[in-house]
Amino acid sequence: MRKYAVIYVSVLMENIQYAGHIAMGFISYFILIFVFINLWNYMYADPGELIAGYTKEQMIWYVMITEMLWFGARSTTITRQAAADIRGGNIVYLMNKPYHYTLYILARYTGEWCVQMPIYALLMVVTGTLLVGNIPNFMPVTLLAAIPCLILGITIHALFKLCISLLSFWIEDSNPFQWLYDKLILVVGTIFPIEIFPESLHVLFKASPIYTVCYGPAKLIVDFSPEKCMEVLAAQLLYLLAGCGLMFFIYGKGVKRLYVNGG
Amino acid sequence: MEVIRTENLSKTFRVKKKEKGMKGSLQSIFHPNVEKIRAVAGISFTVNEGEILAFIGPNGAGKSTTIKMLTGILYPDGGKVEVLGIDPTKKRKELAYQIGTVFGQKEQLWTHLTPYDNFRFFGAIYDIPEEEIELRIRELTDIFELGELLNIPVRGLSLGQRIRCEMAASLIHKPKVLFLDEPTIGLDPVVKENIRTLIRQMNEELHTTVFLTSHDVGDIERLCKRIIIVNDGRIVLDDSMEHMKLSDMSLESTIMEIYKAQRRENTAL
Repeated sequence: MRKYAVIYVSVLMENIQYAGHIAMGFISYFILIFVFINLWNYMYADPGELIAGYTKEQMIWYVMITEMLWFGARSTTITRQAAADIRGGNIVYLMNKPYHYTLYILARYTGEWCVQMPIYALLMVVTGTLLVGNIPNFMPVTLLAAIPCLILGITIHALFKLCISLLSFWIEDSNPFQWLYDKLILVVGTIFPIEIFPESLHVLFKASPIYTVCYGPAKLIVDFSPEKCMEVLAAQLLYLLAGCGLMFFIYGKGVKRLYVNGG
Repeated sequence: MEVIRTENLSKTFRVKKKEKGMKGSLQSIFHPNVEKIRAVAGISFTVNEGEILAFIGPNGAGKSTTIKMLTGILYPDGGKVEVLGIDPTKKRKELAYQIGTVFGQKEQLWTHLTPYDNFRFFGAIYDIPEEEIELRIRELTDIFELGELLNIPVRGLSLGQRIRCEMAASLIHKPKVLFLDEPTIGLDPVVKENIRTLIRQMNEELHTTVFLTSHDVGDIERLCKRIIIVNDGRIVLDDSMEHMKLSDMSLESTIMEIYKAQRRENTAL
């Protein structure tokens, strides 16, 4: 594990240099959140009204948290970079070291989001507190359970994104699959909580990565309950195991098909 | 003692071909035309411990593909390969601890880090204990004269300085075999000569076996005692440098003649 920790620290050192640039990316986050604040202010006619079981403040904070996850965890390393490594043959120069390529990519990715996410989290808390106010009934101690779920969610998200990139061993362009996955996560779990959708779809959404990647962690922050926490955690552990298995399987099969002609 | 052994090693690539224009693009969707290209066609050779071997050939001869199979990156379609008694296709990671690679056209160093941080990084990757890494960095800094470069980010180094650091990084774990793929490409004659001196010194002092591919005859002439020429995926010559030099022609002319003869043979076929 020491080698992966060193990869993580090296990327962290690199990304800290660009903390200012990362903070600039908050402008687009802020514009998006501003639109949603106005939208939900319009949708909630009365101050105490509930929509799909959420108060106005909970609903806005939910979007702010999922968007923070979306912006803070975005990275080209697990998507374009990994796919380009495979298609362009650069992977061979990374494979001749005594580490597993997929874990190398995941360690790099973790180094990236560990810089991005806290910046977005800090700016989100300031913006949310000023424009929306506190989350109703929020107890800071629940973060001790919610933050590990949040980290697990980001890791599961990375596993699935990397699995799609690894399809580049077989296909020319994995971007359309990335796009489909992103849109699924964005529309169903990020912009709206799954309670907004018809009840018949809930079972389907709960069995999908949406539940473990964005809905679960955000729900725990805006409306924590120990039962919900155990449910999310169990689903995340299952997804983590399945995601790791899938990743090693695809990589193991794909690497035997590696085609790199020339020096 | 043999450190590298290959028997009838072969590798075939499948390359997609497309007719020109829009018609060709549409045709390739429904009837993709895939052509098989034999990059390595059953080559057999051995390399002994401490040897510096030149493995050369024209572009597309199969040199890099052979190196990639020797280092376990590519899976051979046929034949056997053993490096330090290890089958690279089965135990690539185990082999990685005992070999080093320098690809002149590819950077393995992290450009935003200093050479010192890179050496520490590679030391950790190869599971070298902390105190040993420091000792090894000092040794390599002396051998490759890197004292003044250690704290400059790699992106700020010249090509010659970078190659010296690349070589030092690839030696951090004391590899028994070093694969050098065009290590002097793009360097000026003075820097080239320095790099050659360092390779020779490393071979003499550390007894590292060196597997060298290069288009630069100077590299081969000054470093190697044995030469293997490959063309079209086959070995066309495996001889000692001493024997090659007995010819009236210069080494460069001899190699050129072999390349031309091979080309004529291929055209005739």
